[in-house]
Amino acid sequence: MKKIKVTLEILADEIAIFYDYKKWHFLTINGVSLGEDKLEVQWIFSQYEAMEDIIMFYAECSYKDVIPSIVNTVPSAIISQRELVDMFGVVVEGSEKGLYLDDDSKQAPLSGCSL
Amino acid sequence: MFSSLFKAFTNIFKKPQTIDYPLTPIAKDKDYRGLIEYGEESCIYCLKCEKACPPGAILFVKTDNPSENEKNKKSLLYNYNPYLCIYCGECVRACPKPEEALWQSNKKPVVAIKSDDVNSGWFEIEKLHKN
Amino acid sequence: MKKTINIPLGSQHISLLEPVRFKFECENEKIIGVDSDVGFVHRGVERACTTNFKYDGIGYVVARICGLCAITHSLSYTVAIEQLLGVEVSKKAKYLRILLLELDRIHSHMLCLSHTCENAGFEAMFMRIMGDRELIMEMQELLTGNRIQFDYISIGGVNRDVNLELAKKMLHTLEILKEKVLGYMDEFTNNWSLSLKFKGIGALSLDEAYQFNAIGPLARASGLKLDVRNEISYLPYKELGFMMQTHSDGDINARNIVRLNEILNSIEMCSNILLGIPEGEILTKSKGKPNGESLVRFEAPRGELMYYVKANGSAMLDRVRIKTPTFSCIPAFSHIFLGENYADAPAILASFDPCLSCTAK
Repeated sequence: MKKIKVTLEILADEIAIFYDYKKWHFLTINGVSLGEDKLEVQWIFSQYEAMEDIIMFYAECSYKDVIPSIVNTVPSAIISQRELVDMFGVVVEGSEKGLYLDDDSKQAPLSGCSL
Repeated sequence: MFSSLFKAFTNIFKKPQTIDYPLTPIAKDKDYRGLIEYGEESCIYCLKCEKACPPGAILFVKTDNPSENEKNKKSLLYNYNPYLCIYCGECVRACPKPEEALWQSNKKPVVAIKSDDVNSGWFEIEKLHKN
Repeated sequence: MKKTINIPLGSQHISLLEPVRFKFECENEKIIGVDSDVGFVHRGVERACTTNFKYDGIGYVVARICGLCAITHSLSYTVAIEQLLGVEVSKKAKYLRILLLELDRIHSHMLCLSHTCENAGFEAMFMRIMGDRELIMEMQELLTGNRIQFDYISIGGVNRDVNLELAKKMLHTLEILKEKVLGYMDEFTNNWSLSLKFKGIGALSLDEAYQFNAIGPLARASGLKLDVRNEISYLPYKELGFMMQTHSDGDINARNIVRLNEILNSIEMCSNILLGIPEGEILTKSKGKPNGESLVRFEAPRGELMYYVKANGSAMLDRVRIKTPTFSCIPAFSHIFLGENYADAPAILASFDPCLSCTAK
């Protein structure tokens, strides 16, 4: 598995240059909590018809940052972005809340800080 | 197309495939995963089954009248909840004496409903275990 | 006056097996807008895996996310932990794991095919396929002790062995099942209720399958060559006769044919395993605690399943991320509905084979 570090500002351009829809298969977006106020977000791709060729872009940010959206390049990322908003309580461009959790339940269950 | 019509016609003369349980009993397999049974005389009180159980259905708590087993140095008593158990068999695999002290039979548990209130005694045991 | 009306294919519907809700915006019976709601059975499994259970009990927790793909979840988590602990699994245990995985695939595809027949109005075929599915359920009960939740896989191998008498019985049952499935193939291609009614409906072209990242039998029916069993090396699929099945039309009929071909290929693989089981141990003990991160992919009956596990050297894990197959197909589902008649919507939804307990974990 190959890991590439990016920052939030250059993310949309990097993915637009890298992604070729006939060669790379988008898997999912993942978030890992690194403590009280830091968060690591991962974008995972794999190659079609190749043995175990997986590439992961990762970026470190805080819970108050606005994460850019990659739906213009990868149309099927919209559903993973909505899950990230629900589970961690962060803001992603163009993605609304309410996929799994209702308004009266405990919000952001996977985030490190207690909300 | 006509083979299915022919098959539907011959189905009139066949027996149904279902069994009218509970009038006809179903044969029980000898390897079916059922209740866990305990043989107190061979137990060495190592507590490995309590650590291995995923939902926590086996608990050892202190008691006032312990058994006569010489290995029972801390006066513990074995408690098992068949309604919390998932019948996976992890406790039998973790036990150092799997056929003599702890084994899995093929008996089914007794079915209970909420008004039978079978778990109120278990909550007391959990409180004793935490202390 | 508005030109469009909103009709729900609601969470309660007479032909729906799963709790999902779609809101269609229709203009004169044609669908022009789709809004979906999945998440009626969210239980918070990812959070429970890092707070309530230790790393050796989580294999039993994730198996209870779904009833039809229980063995695939449990196997993916176990392989991810074995990569972190450095455990070598014996060849016999790998063969037995593939045996149960393929039996699970057969019975899940039979359930989907019988539900498709029920939607077409052909109830006699629905009953026939369900009755033949009992042959597989009895085999699974003899092998593992239970019909649906198997609890067969632990860290380092499997829990029960196959003796000679059981192997002969299973080979005999697989022969009987193969004859019946060839009979279904005949019905699904020639019978007017099942083939003519479904041709040309709910189609997904190859270019759209690439764009929306479709997976599983949905993608293979459009011609996209994506099967995770071709791309992994931790289970020996190539030496057992695995072949990828594709079709080029992309409509409901193509998906049924792909599923039937996969059942025949799985029966052949199971017979090859039972004829040549190697010698060896079924369980190797493991030591130590997991540390690091690992990512594992497997082929569930509905598509590609991914597990990401991060551990820090203690008994409680840091993060368990589960990506289920139906979840990543939701953008493709929403696209296929556009332009179809509202009356065909239940049949199209049944051909996707959605599994909502996996989606809303």
